[in-house]
Amino acid sequence: MIKFEGVVKTYPNGVQALKGVDLSIEQGEFVCIIGLSGAGKSTLLRSINQMHQITGGKLTVDGVDVSALKGKQLRRFRRNIGMVFQSFNLVKRTTVIKNVLAARVADMPLWKSLLGLYTRQDKIIALEALDQVGILEKAYSRADQLSGGQQQRVALARTVAQQPKIILADEPVASLDPVTSQQVMNDFVKINKALNITVVANMHHVDIALKYASRIVGVKEGKIVFDGPSLKVTNDILKEIYGRELSDDELMGA
Amino acid sequence: MDKIKKFFLPKPIVLGNGKVVQPAMSPMVYVIPILLVLFFYSTSLTGFKIDTLITRGSRFFDILVRMFPPNFNYFTKVWTPMVVTLVMSIVGTLAGAAFSIPAAYLSSENMVKSPLVKFAVRGIMSILRTIPLLVLVILFLNMFGAGAFTGMVSLGVFTFTIMTKMFYELIETCDMGPFEAIESSGASRVKAFWTGVMPQLWGQYISILLYNFEMNIRNAAILGYVGAGGIGILLNDRLGWRAYPEVAMILLVLMVSVYLIESLSRHIRKRLL
Repeated sequence: MIKFEGVVKTYPNGVQALKGVDLSIEQGEFVCIIGLSGAGKSTLLRSINQMHQITGGKLTVDGVDVSALKGKQLRRFRRNIGMVFQSFNLVKRTTVIKNVLAARVADMPLWKSLLGLYTRQDKIIALEALDQVGILEKAYSRADQLSGGQQQRVALARTVAQQPKIILADEPVASLDPVTSQQVMNDFVKINKALNITVVANMHHVDIALKYASRIVGVKEGKIVFDGPSLKVTNDILKEIYGRELSDDELMGA
Repeated sequence: MDKIKKFFLPKPIVLGNGKVVQPAMSPMVYVIPILLVLFFYSTSLTGFKIDTLITRGSRFFDILVRMFPPNFNYFTKVWTPMVVTLVMSIVGTLAGAAFSIPAAYLSSENMVKSPLVKFAVRGIMSILRTIPLLVLVILFLNMFGAGAFTGMVSLGVFTFTIMTKMFYELIETCDMGPFEAIESSGASRVKAFWTGVMPQLWGQYISILLYNFEMNIRNAAILGYVGAGGIGILLNDRLGWRAYPEVAMILLVLMVSVYLIESLSRHIRKRLL
């Protein structure tokens, strides 16, 4: 369970990105966070795995106070949390399988990771992850030869190969076309259901968020202004989150 | 003052719809005068005389004429020192290149969080880099005595300092996305660097390694002059005896070797990038 209690994040330049956030997410939920650019979605997500350190309040994951974690403990904690990014963050000059295997280095001794000595077991985990997102046949292609949708699936496979309890997705489909977006989102749902992995995703596309998530969290100016099942999201609620009504053509995606 | 400024400003451009755009002043307005001053100051300081270059330049050909024809039989004696020179460069370059990876990592803004570490490593590297190769050789001659080993160590240290600088500049311009992804999975920064950043840079790393190797072969040829082994010893000796046809043979072997290696290395580098 992820639990925010009055979490505050102030950046060194004085910008307050989170102004007292209370939120709790159960294991296995599929949560989408929506809100304007700059509302604090990305900060909220990155505070969970401490890629951004919170400056106030309390944030616990499965009872562990994450802001107290440092060094080795923090790295051990992060192994249970996968992350997927808008720009995929793959090493484009190397093969798909090597990108997926990168998820295994955290668990390896340093000398083995320096020499790239992955075990047979690691390779099986990586290949199974690729199979799960349906691009097993691309395992030995170079990452830059794949389309955007395929690259995002490689990134998802990398996260699955990490065998996490939670996946954080930062705008996972924002740079993909509508059709590919749906395919990638289906993969997320599949993995969420099959492996009971919690998925927390930031979303630009409101309709995609409503269609795939079971729960929506609306963020505005560093505060949570809505939290509830996606079925209960009405136009009034969207108006509250985005500051004005969204017209049909602004409901991008689906 | 305003009038002077107006004189240097380019003419305003008038667009079709009547809008006027004032182009910015070219930096050449002050760059050229500064360069001219520096140039004339340098020529007077170094005693550069253009007439000397014209009147005595022809002497260059006197030696060239005496070198002709080269003593081809001498090749058998040139062969071994040339190989020593090559080996010296290869081992020196590889050793320097290997050590430059951790040093470059520790010098990179985006890899090392502690400003203290970065400052210390960069500081030491800058000091080492100010030592000219010949001074390095003289230092190591005292430690290891004359011979190819001293040449190797000197070239190794020299390559280490240069490649560290070249490589950390590459690291600082890499795509940090994969690094972030791997760090977020719980890997240490060193592992994230090795798995997320190095695969982006291997091609460029090998390329600067080869570039340094080319440089080192040319450098290694001179090192013999101060006693660090290789073909330089022979060159020094033959020049001392004014055995110009044999000097010519040495230079010929050197030129062909350098040319072959540079072409090969250029070919490989082109394919890497």
